[in-house]
Amino acid sequence: MSARDTSAEVAMLVRQTLALPESEPILPEQLFFYDLGFTSMDLLDLLFRIEQHFQIEIPEGTIYHLARGDLAEAEFAEDAVLTEAGRQRLMALLYDTPPELFPARVHATTLPRFCTVGAITRLVDHKLACSS
Amino acid sequence: MFELMRSISIDAGDGRAAGVAFVPAEHPLFADHFPGRPLLPGSLILELAAQVAGPLAEEFVKTQLDLERWAILGMVRDARFLQPVFLPASLEITAVISRSQSSNVSTNVTVAMDGERVMQAELVMMMLESSDEWTAAIEARNERLARWKEASS
Repeated sequence: MSARDTSAEVAMLVRQTLALPESEPILPEQLFFYDLGFTSMDLLDLLFRIEQHFQIEIPEGTIYHLARGDLAEAEFAEDAVLTEAGRQRLMALLYDTPPELFPARVHATTLPRFCTVGAITRLVDHKLACSS
Repeated sequence: MFELMRSISIDAGDGRAAGVAFVPAEHPLFADHFPGRPLLPGSLILELAAQVAGPLAEEFVKTQLDLERWAILGMVRDARFLQPVFLPASLEITAVISRSQSSNVSTNVTVAMDGERVMQAELVMMMLESSDEWTAAIEARNERLARWKEASS
């Protein structure tokens, strides 16, 4: 947990996105699309709220670029589908997502679907650390 | 045809657009909203704003990102309806791009009547790749857009 308790702030923004009451628990291991019933528009709304609240930028493709790291583009994905090496990189980044949720062919545009609340919290912590 | 926009001008380089719409009081759509006191529904104010923000977003991603996309209103954020719009009304609509990505473009829109703001919001336009079945709709929209641009020049 960071000094400013990013986790609690992200949970608050998730509740606002879904118009949930404060009493509704939001847990780090919950998956946005599978557990919380997020749509792609909900995720976009949440990212806007996070950017505004934390004064950071999360451009599209952020999960992709973080997962790829120093791996060459061609080694990470082919025709917008992750290679096995790319898939392993993604699973390492999203280590708290159950491995069985990752299909054999992971399309590059679907990566946010595999994120937990904890993964987005780590992303926010990463962005805050980069900006400080 | 229920066409309310009268003119539009787009400056994609500057990320801005302005349009004018005229809404008559006599249209049957407003007969029940409300009898004897026609009032423009907020949803139609948003639609008019999207008719300015959408073409702006399309031209912006075309010129700045070299992408051909079709803008669809995806999300309305922080909408404020500041004054009732009694009909007939002439509305001045402005849209300014606040954020752009290949999949979505955010615009800050303002709608004014007689110089007074009546609505402001952030409209998030989803930028979709068009498919063959949209060809007729896109051509019809582009024909209308060309007329609106002609009217503003």
